[in-house]
Amino acid sequence: MQVEGALGGDIQAIRRDADVISARQSGRQIAERMGYSRPDQALIATAISELARNIVNYAGKGEIEITPVRRRGRMGLRIIARDHGPGIEDLERAMADGFSTGNSFGLGLPGAKRIMDDFDVVTAVGEGVVVTAIKWMGR
Amino acid sequence: MSSRVPILRQGDVLIASIQEELSDGDILDLQLRILEEVIRCRASGVIVDVSALDVLDSFGSRSLSDMAQAVRLRGSRLVIVGIQPDVAYSMVLLGVTLPDVATALDLDRGLALLEAG
Amino acid sequence: MLEIIASSAEDARDGYDLQKAMKWFDLSPEDRDRTMQLGEISESVAEAIIEAFYEHLLSDPVAAQHFHGPDHVEKVKAGQLRYFRELISAELDDDYIADRRRIGGIHERTGVTPTLYIGAYAFYLNRLATIVLDRMKEEPDSAFPLLLSLFKFAHFDMALALETYVDTREETIRDRERELSELPTPVLQLRPGLLLIPVVGTLDSFRARALTVQLLEGIRAHRARAVVLDITGVAAVDSAVANHLIQTMSAARLMGVRSVLTGLSAEVAQSLVKVGVTAEKLQTAGDLESGIELADRLMAG
Repeated sequence: MQVEGALGGDIQAIRRDADVISARQSGRQIAERMGYSRPDQALIATAISELARNIVNYAGKGEIEITPVRRRGRMGLRIIARDHGPGIEDLERAMADGFSTGNSFGLGLPGAKRIMDDFDVVTAVGEGVVVTAIKWMGR
Repeated sequence: MSSRVPILRQGDVLIASIQEELSDGDILDLQLRILEEVIRCRASGVIVDVSALDVLDSFGSRSLSDMAQAVRLRGSRLVIVGIQPDVAYSMVLLGVTLPDVATALDLDRGLALLEAG
Repeated sequence: MLEIIASSAEDARDGYDLQKAMKWFDLSPEDRDRTMQLGEISESVAEAIIEAFYEHLLSDPVAAQHFHGPDHVEKVKAGQLRYFRELISAELDDDYIADRRRIGGIHERTGVTPTLYIGAYAFYLNRLATIVLDRMKEEPDSAFPLLLSLFKFAHFDMALALETYVDTREETIRDRERELSELPTPVLQLRPGLLLIPVVGTLDSFRARALTVQLLEGIRAHRARAVVLDITGVAAVDSAVANHLIQTMSAARLMGVRSVLTGLSAEVAQSLVKVGVTAEKLQTAGDLESGIELADRLMAG
């Protein structure tokens, strides 16, 4: 997989809930520029919103990195949500629908996973969470 | 916190029309103000117009659902109107279907729904 | 404690790593030196082996269908001669890999199966090895290492070709999916406010999403109040398809539209029950006509 630098990307610091909005707006703009369909732009913005909100709710601060990528001739948009918060103790449970210690139906991670094509979570208790999600174009 | 969503009154129906993307704080503020207004005006119904929103994530949806629930407890009804096609599509993929919340295509339809009882 | 879940495997074929591949196949410059020593023998017999192979191949009527006349056969033979010459002596670089992959892609597209390809390879290697062992029978100890090096290259080659087969096949599938998704789903307006969607064919997740998007746009464009989804023409409804249909109807409801599902066979009704759908949650009707009646009633109030 290669990073497509020429198409622009973005790193958004996430510190408070208003940053959630600017992160998803940035993601939508990049997706639009890359030529994603409108429904796909909405999906990408929604996934970023969920991931950014998780950062605010559970880690306090972190960042969202948005990068156009290419794999075997196919374009994609990669979202990395990174924080150095408490990490996720029971990842399996966090990935199950309806589990939430916050206020959001508990759909944050599993919902974002359903929306995106590729989805990885790496976490260590006390060290934080890194979520990498990719939406491929034309799928 | 500034009140970014005007709440208008038409007959005994309140209309809150969300014009721009709201932060979580704005949404919670709206939730509170709608309840206060419902009580103050003895409104029979509330319409929340979200047609300007291009994202409704799980937090926003949850807040709308809570709002509808709280309004119902006050003996009034809440209708969400104007969920856009792309937004509806993202919501169901996310897993949000708001089964207990009334919805309508737009403001007119929402008003008609409330009038019909 | 590091926990990794839901890992979507990073594609190993991203940017082919030649050094890594050579290490994996235990290929070194010495191997190339050794196969070069087979150059003379190989050159002297390659044409004869290929002739023998085509005689063998063309005796099979199915395989013979791949060729459009003698000129085509000659052209393919020439290509094969070059292919085997390169196996013995070509420099292993990015151009070589690109060329091997190109050939693999052509094979996949023209219907040369992996069996046919590897079979041809085996035929060539067996014949050549037999001849080499025969000519070097005075010194078998030197013949073996040369052949082993040749086999390493051959396996490396076959792996490349098979990878390309898979890639090409995936690409074809993707193209087909794309074509399918671009098939417009008709959204018909029966009367003001009432839409009919006849769903026909197979409904995979790809197409289901396209259908949902089209329906939702149709709802907005026609200011619909109710939708009838007729699935009489859907080939197979398993629980995945049932889930798609429910998602579609849920999305329509978020826009304030009631939907009715018609054309359910007994099996379909069963799959819907399996994914946890009850009649109260989902409005259904036996046939299209009663579905439209039901939609009318829903619209009226």
